[in-house]
Amino acid sequence: MNDVEIIEKTKALLGDKVLEISNPALRRVFLKVDPKNLIPAVEVLKNSLGFIYVATISGLDSGENFEIIYHFAKPGSQLNLRTLVPKAHPHVESICAVIPGAILYERELQDMFGLVVDHIPDPRRLVLPDDWPEGNYPLRKDWKYERPPEKIPGGKS
Amino acid sequence: MKFTVPIGPQHPALKEPISLRMTLEGEVIRGVDIRLGYNHRGLEKLAEEKTWLQNIYVTERICGICSHSHATCYTQGVEKLMEVEPPKRGISLRFLVAELERVHSHLLWLGVAGHEAGFDTFFMYTWRDREVVMDILEMISGNRVHYAINTLGGVRRDIDELQKKKILDSLGILRRRSEYYFKIGASEPSFVARIAGVGPLSKADALALCAVGPTARASDIPQDVRKDDPYGVYAEVPFEVATATTCDVLGRVVVRVKELMQSYNIIEFLLKNLPDGPVAVRAPRRAKPNEVVSRYEAPRGENIHYIKSNGSDKPERLKVRAPTLANYPATVVMLKDGYIADIPLIFAAIDPCICCAERTVALVDGRSGQESVVLMSELRRKARERWKKAPPKKDAVWPF
Repeated sequence: MNDVEIIEKTKALLGDKVLEISNPALRRVFLKVDPKNLIPAVEVLKNSLGFIYVATISGLDSGENFEIIYHFAKPGSQLNLRTLVPKAHPHVESICAVIPGAILYERELQDMFGLVVDHIPDPRRLVLPDDWPEGNYPLRKDWKYERPPEKIPGGKS
Repeated sequence: MKFTVPIGPQHPALKEPISLRMTLEGEVIRGVDIRLGYNHRGLEKLAEEKTWLQNIYVTERICGICSHSHATCYTQGVEKLMEVEPPKRGISLRFLVAELERVHSHLLWLGVAGHEAGFDTFFMYTWRDREVVMDILEMISGNRVHYAINTLGGVRRDIDELQKKKILDSLGILRRRSEYYFKIGASEPSFVARIAGVGPLSKADALALCAVGPTARASDIPQDVRKDDPYGVYAEVPFEVATATTCDVLGRVVVRVKELMQSYNIIEFLLKNLPDGPVAVRAPRRAKPNEVVSRYEAPRGENIHYIKSNGSDKPERLKVRAPTLANYPATVVMLKDGYIADIPLIFAAIDPCICCAERTVALVDGRSGQESVVLMSELRRKARERWKKAPPKKDAVWPF
C-alpha cells in the first residue's frame, strides 16, 4: 500500500473526521483529527489500514495548544496522527484499549506536559522522580530550570 | 507466600537504569512492575537550547553502545529539514560505520548472553573478537565508542585505500570466527538447552506490545526499518531480514548471529562499491520551519526521532525514542510466569546494556518487609545451580 492509497482509504473510512491530511515526503503521511475523534481514528488505522505498531507519541507545546503526534508504522509506510488539545483543558483519551503497547508513551506525556490521559490503565509517574514538585512540567515551553545557588560547606557565604 | 523483589535501579554502567519490582510465588514470577527515570537527563529540553550542529554531539551521548545510531538518526532528519543532500561517498561511509557498530554491539550482546547462561568461554571468545571491530572503528574515526563521524551534510573523515584493505582483512578474521558461533549450538547442547524456552514472547503479544528489533524478529515478525522504510544506502544494498520462530532467548541469539553475517556482507558491499568524491557538503546554519520523522534501525531495534524546526538555528522540538523503551512492555510479558533464576538471562536478552551487571537485588519478605541484599553474581550462581538439577531439554534444536 503506497502513500496515495493510504490517503484515499483514510479519507474514505474517516470521512469528515479528517481535518487535514498531507504527504510531505515519501512514506510519511500526516493526518490531523479532532481529539474527540481520536479513538475512532486509531481503530480505523489499526483494523482497516493495518497500523498495529505505535512507534512513539510525541508531545509538543505550541503556545495555546498541545500537539500530540502518534507515530504509527508498518512495512512500507509511516503515518503520523496529530491532534490538538487546548492548554486550558488538557485532556486526551487513552489509546491503550486499542494498542496496549502505547502505555509507556502516554505515561511519559503525562509527566512531561501535564496532559491528563483519560482512562489510562496505569496513571503513575514514569520518568519524573516521586518527590518532583506538583505542577512542574519540564517540556512546556514556559518551564525553565533554575539551578539552586551552590552552597560550599564551611566556605564564604 | 508472595515476595516482592526489586531489581535495580542503580547501576552506573547502564544507560537506562531501571527498577523492576517482581512479585514472586516461590520461584515463579507472578507480576512485574517497571519504574523508569533514574537516569533521565532532560535531553529533549537541552536539545531545544543547542544549535543544530551541537545537537549531533548531544544525541551521540544518548547511548554508549549504539552512539552512532542516535547521531545518524538525528543527522539524517536534520539534513532533510535543511534540504541538504550529502555526497554518495559520505553516505556510504556513514552506514559503513553504522554496520560496524551493529557488529560490535551484537558481539558484545552474544558475549553477555553466553555469560548469563553460564557459558563464559563464549563470552571470552566474542569479546576478544569484538576487539577486532573496535580496532577498525578506532582506525576510521579515532575513537572506540563515540565515533563523532557524522556532521550535517556528510561525515567528518575519509578513508584511504590502505584502511580499506585493512578493514577487508579484518572482516575475513571476523567471518571465520563468527562461523564458530554457527557451530556453537551443535557442539554445546547444554547452552541450547539453557536458553531454549526461556522468556517466551508470542507473536501476538509482540505485535500488541509494539516490540522492536531482534526481540520482535525472534518472535517471527520480519520487522526491520532498513527493509520497511529504506534510508541511506539500504535501498541499494542486498541483505536479508533475519528472523526466528522459536519466540524465546534461543531465537534472540539466532537472530543476532544471523544479523552478524548479514552485516559482514553489507560492510563488504559498501567497501567494494565505495563511490569517489567528497565526503561532506556545507550545511546551512538554519532550517526552515518544518517537521520530519526520522527512523533508523539501531542494533537493538527501531530508533525514531521527531524533529521540528522553527526557522532558527535551534530545534523547536526533538523527540527521541530509543528501542529499549519500546521493548519494556514486552519484557514484562517475557518475565511473567518465568523463574527468578531466569531474570538476568531474559532481561539481558532485550539487550538493555546490562553488560556490567553486578547489580544489587534486594529480596523483600512480603510479610515482615525485611530486605536481604544479594548480588547479581549470587543470583547467577543460583540460576546455574537450578539448571544443573533441571532435566536437559532434549527437544531443543540449534537451527543451523
